[in-house]
Amino acid sequence: MNTQSMKSTVERNGALFAFLILFIGSALWKPGIFLQPESIRNILNQNASIGILALGMTLVIVAGGIDLSVGSLMALAGVLGVQWMNQALGTNASDPKGIWVAAASCIAIGGIAGLINGLLVTSGKIAPFIVTLAGLVGFRSMAQAFADGGEVRAVGSTFASLGQDGITIPALPFWITTPLVIQWPVFIFFVMAAAVGFVLNRTPFGRYCIAVGANEQAAKYSAINTNRIKLWTYVIVGLCAGIASLCVSSRMNSVTSGQLGNNAELDAIAAVVIGGARMSGGYARVTGTVFGVLMLGIITNILTASDVSVYWQGFVKGVIILLAVLIQRGRSD
Amino acid sequence: MLDVVGVRKEFGTVIALRGVSLQFRPGEVHGLIGENGAGKSTLMKLLSGLEQPTVGEVRLDGNAVNLKGVQSAIDRGIVMIHQELNLVDDLSVAENVFLGREPRKGLAIDYAKMRTECAGLLEKVNAKFGPDTSVRGLSIADKQLVEIAKAISYDAKYLIMDEPTAVLTGPEVRSLFALIRDLKARNVSVVYISHLLPEILEISDRISVLRDGEFVGELDPKTSTPQILAESMVGRELGEVFPPLGARTSDEVVLEVTNLSTTPHHQPVSFQLRAGEILGMAGLIGAGRTEISEALAGFRKSTGQVKLAGEAIEKLSPSDRRKRGLVYVSEDRKGRGLHLTLAISENASLPTLADANRFRVNDTQVDSIANGWVEKLGIKTSNIHAPVKSLSGGNQQKVAIAKWLQCNPKVVIFDEPTRGVDVGAKREIYNLIVDLAKQGLAVILVSSELPEVIGLCHRVLVLRNGTCEAELAGEQLNEKTIMTSAAGLEKQA
Repeated sequence: MNTQSMKSTVERNGALFAFLILFIGSALWKPGIFLQPESIRNILNQNASIGILALGMTLVIVAGGIDLSVGSLMALAGVLGVQWMNQALGTNASDPKGIWVAAASCIAIGGIAGLINGLLVTSGKIAPFIVTLAGLVGFRSMAQAFADGGEVRAVGSTFASLGQDGITIPALPFWITTPLVIQWPVFIFFVMAAAVGFVLNRTPFGRYCIAVGANEQAAKYSAINTNRIKLWTYVIVGLCAGIASLCVSSRMNSVTSGQLGNNAELDAIAAVVIGGARMSGGYARVTGTVFGVLMLGIITNILTASDVSVYWQGFVKGVIILLAVLIQRGRSD
Repeated sequence: MLDVVGVRKEFGTVIALRGVSLQFRPGEVHGLIGENGAGKSTLMKLLSGLEQPTVGEVRLDGNAVNLKGVQSAIDRGIVMIHQELNLVDDLSVAENVFLGREPRKGLAIDYAKMRTECAGLLEKVNAKFGPDTSVRGLSIADKQLVEIAKAISYDAKYLIMDEPTAVLTGPEVRSLFALIRDLKARNVSVVYISHLLPEILEISDRISVLRDGEFVGELDPKTSTPQILAESMVGRELGEVFPPLGARTSDEVVLEVTNLSTTPHHQPVSFQLRAGEILGMAGLIGAGRTEISEALAGFRKSTGQVKLAGEAIEKLSPSDRRKRGLVYVSEDRKGRGLHLTLAISENASLPTLADANRFRVNDTQVDSIANGWVEKLGIKTSNIHAPVKSLSGGNQQKVAIAKWLQCNPKVVIFDEPTRGVDVGAKREIYNLIVDLAKQGLAVILVSSELPEVIGLCHRVLVLRNGTCEAELAGEQLNEKTIMTSAAGLEKQA
């Protein structure tokens, strides 16, 4: 392989290389902490919901948009989802139908909010940044208003089984000393990643998203209904926010209206950017986004475990975002 | 005196210039021609400081100069006016002219001084607008005047103009030429690059021809013809420019337009288009040709009726009109016609991507579609997965056409299909258009190049103010009748 083609391979799979560098670096720096199976389990379990959000965000960004409202939307969907579930359950707290009520509520609220965002962007012709900035402020306020500013607890503990149970990996000699639970949201994340990857790369809709993001005028003049494409990306990211909200609130078995999903939209955008997407649209890779999510998770995990002050974690994340983008530079030029 | 001496420029393995020597003299208009890829733009980039030669040197009045960066070229009085004008729409004319070097009074900008100086410059270029005019509202011709005023303010001794007339109307070209002659009289050396051969013959004192990165000769405009220029650019005899038109074989009306209007201020337009017919649309810029074309394809709101093969389509979306067989090849290849960053294959199949299967893209089919068009239209590329921006203008245009022919159209509207395309590719596009008509397709050809509409069309509509001023065919069809109708002189005469 000559240097030219090696360079382009690195650029094309930049997120993978950045991930490997971070992974090996972490393993060498803190083998005692990072290579523990518990760490890896934690990274997966703790970041599945951001990952789900980032998948939807990938489609929005590739089509040239942005959604700042999804973190707050998670709180709104979670608050209403758990409240409606509690109402539906009444005194019969262990009825498993509660999970279905919560799931349907969260996803429906996410989808409807996404639809509203999308309509404001397409029919309302307001810049996506502004529409979703209003959502960022507005949805959080609604969540806090409905929850009286506090926490909404799920009645009983059946709801928690969705976010806390999962597939148990049995103990293995020399490495896994106690059985580990990989929670359901992790599997939801990976299944959705495969689905979004298929949509982006293998369906006309995905190609249209790329075409709209690469040059909206040219897409319009290719007889593509660009508004419909953009609208759908916001609906999808809204649905993702609903699912992410369901995962987190069931994992906690409660929703803190002021906390849930705080800055989640920024983590999701960061993951997409680390994954190599072009912020102006027209290029993104779902595998890149997945690696981006995992990288953000590894950084938080290893810094926390090495007793680095929580105040420094944001700084390190910022540096990693810039490095990841620098590694991948050149591909788009 | 500006000399380019034995200049060679390599980009990686690509050799853009192979040892070119040229001389630009004060008070002279030096025409520069060559097909796309001949090395004209590279040469201009070397002169304007954007690139440095690999071998060879640029000499100013006999001394070798190192032009590193646009500023160092400007400091020496070498100024380039690009085809795509570099103006800030939101600023005033004066602010644009003095952008980055505003006269100061202490820390603040000295607006009074800026205005006075700008007014003086505008007078020199015969501008009819003032220094406070907002650039956004200016016509393209006026914007060009702002660029020239800016160049004069740099005290330009060498003015390089890249395709300055590509977007100008006839009268605007006249006043630009008057200005160029004016500059010449003031001892400015003008380097004039253009694809429009009659114009270059008219304005130049000398014409240099580049081919494949080499200087192939100098021509005297007094003794040359467009045909001679074209042949020296291509390096072979071209024969007739326009292929013979077939007689129309069918009387079947494919497209029937009744009272179409894109704005309430305009008189509506009505016409019919038959199978196998090439209908020209001529007119000045702003006459409404593109507006009507876009309205027919559904990209623009309009009133009136449009029938395609007897079926009313005026309420349909662009996508539904495409499916019924009406497509539009945009005049704005880079902005609207193509996705420059996407692959050739992706561009070629974009409109038809969901036709076979709404939920699944068949990449094998996408590739075979692209390969088919690469072969059929002779698109020069080694890789259909390369981005379209890697192609030359002519080959890009072929991709922009291919994506619509892939839709199996009954009616194709070509809007300025040869803009920014070199001579060789132009002829291929002419042949293609005539072939399509012979196959029974109906074609609308919008063009600002009069020889094109005269040479290629069975019938020509001349538009003015959004409506049809004249319908010309046969012996009536010549440059004079088109121009008098386009300018609205007919009624006065």
